[in-house]
Amino acid sequence: MEDLLKPDYGVLALTVCNFLLLVYLLKKFAWGPIIEALEKRETQIAADKQTAADARQSAEQLKQELDARLAQISDEAAKKMAQAVKLGEAQRDHLLAQAKVQAEKLIEQAKVQIEAEKNKALSDVRGEIASISLLAASRVVGRQVTDNAADQIVAQVLEEVKGK
Amino acid sequence: MDVAETISHHILDHDWGVVFNGFRLPVTTHSVTIFTVSILLILTLAWATRKHTSRAGRLVTTLLEEYVSFIRDGMVLPNMGQEGRGMLPYFCTLFLFILSVNLVGMIPEMKTATSNISVTAALALCSGALIVFSGLKYHGFIGFLKGFVPSGTPKWLVPLIFPLEVVSLIIKVCVLAIRLFANMLSGHMVLICLLLIIFIVGGMSKAAGVGALLPAMVLEIFMTCLELLVAFLQAYVFTLLTAIFAGSVIHTH
Repeated sequence: MEDLLKPDYGVLALTVCNFLLLVYLLKKFAWGPIIEALEKRETQIAADKQTAADARQSAEQLKQELDARLAQISDEAAKKMAQAVKLGEAQRDHLLAQAKVQAEKLIEQAKVQIEAEKNKALSDVRGEIASISLLAASRVVGRQVTDNAADQIVAQVLEEVKGK
Repeated sequence: MDVAETISHHILDHDWGVVFNGFRLPVTTHSVTIFTVSILLILTLAWATRKHTSRAGRLVTTLLEEYVSFIRDGMVLPNMGQEGRGMLPYFCTLFLFILSVNLVGMIPEMKTATSNISVTAALALCSGALIVFSGLKYHGFIGFLKGFVPSGTPKWLVPLIFPLEVVSLIIKVCVLAIRLFANMLSGHMVLICLLLIIFIVGGMSKAAGVGALLPAMVLEIFMTCLELLVAFLQAYVFTLLTAIFAGSVIHTH
């Protein structure tokens, strides 16, 4: 059993040589290509991640710009809407005022026209009544009355008519 | 039956007695095992790293990449930093080699070469050389020697601390060899002892031997599972400690 701890220097030297040769060969034929492929893929993944992060950042920047633009457009639209409403209200007031003035003018004209028509009608009625009265009076009196007398009679009749 | 002799026979290395020009060649069971494992590793890994078109081939390549990532991100980079990248092939080989040699010993009729102090000492020597090489590479000869003295040490303590630290490094390397050797040896000794219980008890009484068969076999299976675990664990510990010691000379106090 004491041989367990007795080193065999031949085996030791052979193991060292064997192991170092194994490290060299595996580095050349196995670990080298694997590590190279692994690092290449990791570099590619890192580059892809960086590209994705850049794209995301630019997309966010674009979104912010668009949001700002949208907000600006909304503000402008609101302002224009308010201006339009204001203008509409002003035009409405103007039209209403214009219509009111026109209506008053028309009413005034109508009143004048009515007054004129009334006066004309009154004049016509007066003339008609005078003619009728003269005719009636001529027939009653059986004589021709003078113009002055006729006017007096007409006035009298008219007064009577008004009194009735 | 001499129990000690039986155990020794199963554990000790056997010289094949090859002599060349009167010079004894170290052709032993363990050295042949190591050589065979090395050849198998080279052939298997060289095949595995080829560009595969089959799904199984690609799976093997992916597994190897995962293994390299495990060694690099789990042991080398955390302990040695970016300086350890160049030594990654050494650590990948070290772990796989120790694990393979440990596992080969689990196959019936095969020997565990890592239960030989000469083999583990050789591996520890390689690791020790790597540790010294790391220190010399990154700090130069004087810087490497300065690294043995912690910063802030009073000058009068330096003659005491320096030899202590040098001895400490040598002991660390020796402990690497002894730990692996002792763990693998003890596991196999326990396995053989458990089997021998059956024959020893059976030698006294056949009925008792039959009675001892079941508990001994249960214990044997349990110990075999434990040995499998130890095989992985010791490969991991040896590689990790090498990385830690190399890291400690690269990133000194």
